[in-house]
Amino acid sequence: MKEAVKEAETHKMTSYLSFLLDGEYFAVNVAKVIEILEVPNITKIPRAPEYMTGVINLRGSVLPIVDTRIKFGLPKIDFKVDTCIIVLDAEVEGETTKVGALVDAVLEVFDISEDKILPSPSINTNYNLDFISGMFRADDGFVMLLNMDEVFSVRDVQLFNNSNESQLDDEGDYGTEMHNN
Amino acid sequence: MSDMNSIYEEEVLELLEKLESSLLLLEITPNDDGLVEEIFRSMHTIKGSSGMFGYDNVAAFVHNLESIYDQIREGKLETTKQLIDVTLTSLDHIKRIVKDPDLKDENNDLSQKKLTDQIISIMGEQALQVKNDLIEIKDDLVEKEILSYYISFIPNEDIFDNGTNPLFILDELFELGDCKIFPQFKNIENIEDFDPTKCLSFWELLIATKSSKEELKDVFLFVEGDSEIKIETLCNYNIVEVEPTKSFVTQLNKIECGNPINIEELKKIISDNPVQKNKKIIRSNSVKEFNKEVEDNLTQEKRISSIRVASDKLDSLMNIVSELVTTKASLSLYAENNPTPELEIISENVEKLSRQLRDTAFGMTLIPIKNIMNRFQRLIRDVSAELGKTIDFEIEGDETELDKNIIESLTDPLMHILRNSLDHGIESKDERQAVNKSPTGKILLKAFYSGPNVHIQIKDDGKGINPEIIKAKAVDKGLLSEDADLSEKEILDFIFHPGFSTVNEVTDVSGRGVGMDVVRRNINDIRGSVEIYSVVGVGTTLTIKLPLTLSIVDGLLVKIGSSNYVVPLSVVEKCHEVSYNKLDNLFNKLLLLDGEQIPFLNLREEFKITDGAPKITQIIIVNNEERKVAISVDNIIDEYQAVLKPISKYYKDQEFISGATILGDGTVALVLDTNKIVSKFSEQIKKTEKV
Repeated sequence: MKEAVKEAETHKMTSYLSFLLDGEYFAVNVAKVIEILEVPNITKIPRAPEYMTGVINLRGSVLPIVDTRIKFGLPKIDFKVDTCIIVLDAEVEGETTKVGALVDAVLEVFDISEDKILPSPSINTNYNLDFISGMFRADDGFVMLLNMDEVFSVRDVQLFNNSNESQLDDEGDYGTEMHNN
Repeated sequence: MSDMNSIYEEEVLELLEKLESSLLLLEITPNDDGLVEEIFRSMHTIKGSSGMFGYDNVAAFVHNLESIYDQIREGKLETTKQLIDVTLTSLDHIKRIVKDPDLKDENNDLSQKKLTDQIISIMGEQALQVKNDLIEIKDDLVEKEILSYYISFIPNEDIFDNGTNPLFILDELFELGDCKIFPQFKNIENIEDFDPTKCLSFWELLIATKSSKEELKDVFLFVEGDSEIKIETLCNYNIVEVEPTKSFVTQLNKIECGNPINIEELKKIISDNPVQKNKKIIRSNSVKEFNKEVEDNLTQEKRISSIRVASDKLDSLMNIVSELVTTKASLSLYAENNPTPELEIISENVEKLSRQLRDTAFGMTLIPIKNIMNRFQRLIRDVSAELGKTIDFEIEGDETELDKNIIESLTDPLMHILRNSLDHGIESKDERQAVNKSPTGKILLKAFYSGPNVHIQIKDDGKGINPEIIKAKAVDKGLLSEDADLSEKEILDFIFHPGFSTVNEVTDVSGRGVGMDVVRRNINDIRGSVEIYSVVGVGTTLTIKLPLTLSIVDGLLVKIGSSNYVVPLSVVEKCHEVSYNKLDNLFNKLLLLDGEQIPFLNLREEFKITDGAPKITQIIIVNNEERKVAISVDNIIDEYQAVLKPISKYYKDQEFISGATILGDGTVALVLDTNKIVSKFSEQIKKTEKV
C-alpha cells in the first residue's frame, strides 16, 4: 500500500478509456472524452467520404460521426449491441470541435502511471506512428494509446501503412472534388 | 471598475459616431447653426464623462476641440474644410486614446500633441486657456427649459454593504433643481425582524430641473445596477412652484410620512390643466428657439417609442425562439401520432404563436442598413481626397433592414468594393473630361428588398471593366486556356478569383489582389452571393444578394432515400408528380413540364442512393438566379421551419448542404444548398456538351 502511494507520487497517474476495434485494443486519454452514447439514428450526408458516417442530434446540436474502423483502414463497422459512440474533443484546424467516434465496444477506464507506458513500436509495425502516442502492456496483449488530435485532425491519412486500396480510391476520388472547391 | 470603463467607452464611441455624421453634414451646409450646436453638445458630453471617469487626457483634448466649436457657435470662427479635416482626425485620435487613456503608446502621445497644436493654430489669436490638470466642467450649455420629473428610487436592501449612502444621491439631486422628497418605508411586520444593516427605506421625488433625464440618470450611475430606479418626465414647467400642481404638492407635504405619492392623480392634474408656458428667455432669434422646442418634443417622443436592448440579450432571445420552434415541431409530431381533438387544437395554437413570436423576434434583430452607411461616407470623403477625385456619393434605401449579424459581416466587403470603385472604377478628372464625362464621379449605393432577399448594389459611372483585359490576365495566370469560350459574365467572374488583380502597380488604396475573393468569401459565409456587371466606358455595378436572416429558414421537408432534407422555400417555384420510370428514360436530361423544357437533376443519382426508388417521384422546380432547374425527391412531407445549425467543420467541404436542422422526432435533417447544386449541375452540363 505504502509503495503504491510512493509510486503515485513519483509518477503521475493518467486515466485512459479503452475500446475495441476489430479485435484490437485501443485507448484514449479520458481528458479528451466527453461522453459515451448508444448509437442513435444517424443521418447520412450524401457524397461525404466513406468514413464520415453522418451526423446525429446531440441535445440540439449537430455532431459528426466518424467510423473509426474505416478511418483506420479496417472494414466498415458492423452495428451490434455493443457498438457505441465515444464523443471526443478534437482539434480541427486549431479549433476544438466535438466529434463522435464509432467503436466496436467500450471496455473500461483504467489508471496507469506514466512509466508503464512504453514508447511506440519503432520497427516492424503496420501502424502509422503519428497516431500512436505510446503503448501499454495489459494482461491479454498490448493496448495502443491513441493521439486523438492527430487521428481526427488529418483527413486522408491512414492509421495502417498498408491501407487497402479500394479505400484510397474512394477518398482520392472525393479529394479532387474538394480541391476544386 | 472595468464595467464602468466599458459603459464609458460605449458611450463615447457612440457619441463619436454621431459627431462624425454631423461633421460630414456640416461640411455640406457650413452655416447650419443647429448642427454646430449639436456638435458642440456631443463634445461637451464626451468631455464631461471623460472627466468623470478620470480620462483626463481625453477630457483635456476634447476641451480644446470644444472651444473651437464654441467659437463657431458665437460666430467668431468660420467652418472651413481644414477645420473639419482636423476635427475628423481628432475624432479618430479620441477613438484610440479611449483605449489608451494614459497615452502609453508613443504614437498616441505624439498625435495628441500634434493635433493639439493644430487645434491651437486654428484658434489663432484666440488664446487658449487650458488647464490640463483641472478641467472645469461648466454647465454653459444653452439656456434650457425647466422640466419636471417624478423619480422613484428603491435601493437594494444590501446597499449599505458596499459603503454607499443613498442620502448622498439625494443631496446631489437637490443641487440640480427644485426638489421635493417623500421618504417611504418598506413594511416590517414585527419589530424583531428589523435589521439595522439593511436599507428598508426608499424615496419618491418630484424634481423641477434644467437637467435632462440622462443627467438625472447619471446621478444614479453607481447604484443603478442593484436598485430599482424609475424616472418619468411629468411636464415642462416647474411642478413645485407653478399651479395647478403646486397645491397638490404642498398638500403632499402634509400627508403622513410613508404614504406613497398618488402619481396617477398628479399626472391627471397635469394633463387636465395645460399650463401656458412662462415667458421664456428669448434669445436674439425666437424662431430658432421655437425650432429647438419642436426638436426637443420630438426627441422626447422618440425616447418613449423605442428602448435600447443589449445585443447579446437579443441573441439569447433568438436562441430561445429557435429552441421553441424545434420543440414545437416535436409537439406537432406527437399530436399527429396521438390524435385527440384537444391536443390538436393546442398544438395548432402553439404553432401559430411560435410563428408569430419568431417573426416578432426577427423583427427586433433587424436593423436598418443606415447604421453602417456613416462609415462609408467618411471613407469616400477621405479616399477621394487622397486620390484627387471628386465623388458624388449617393445612398438610396438606407432604411432597408437586415439581420444585425449580416450587417456586421457586411461592412468589410462593402468597404472593399467602394475602395475598388474609387480607385479603379472612377477615372481621374482629366480622363473623365477627355471622354466627355462630368469631372465629378458618381457612386450610388442602393439597398432594396427583392422577394425574400435584400439586394445591395454599388454602381459607379467609371471606366468599367474590359473583359478582354480580364481574359488576357486569366490566361496569363494560367487560370484559363486561350481558346476557352466564355460568356462575358463568366469572364468578369474571374475578378473574384484569389490572387487576381489587374492593376499592375499596388496602390495604398487597393490593388493587392486579395480583395475581391475575400469579398466573395465573406458574402458566401452569410449565405449571400455577389455578381458583377460592367459596361466599358459606362460603369460597373456590383450586386450583393443577401438572405434576410441567418438562423431560421422556411422550407419544404422532403425525403430522399432514408434521409430527410429541407429545401428552402424561397427558391421553390412549383412541385409536380412524375413517375420515376420517366426519369430513367430521359434522353437529354430535360423534363417537359407545363409546356416548358426544364433541365433536370436526379438527386437520387447525385447522392448515390440506389435502393428503393419510388414509383412516383416528386419534382420540385427551383429557381436559381439565372435558370430553372427541376430536382427530384422521393416524397414531399410537409412545410417546415428549419432552425439552421452549422454542420461541423468535418463537413465544411460538403457542397450540397448548407446546414442541418433538428426535426420534431429528434433526428437530423439536412438543408440543401440549391444554389450550389444548380451551379454544379450547370458545370456538368457544360462538360457534357463539350464532350
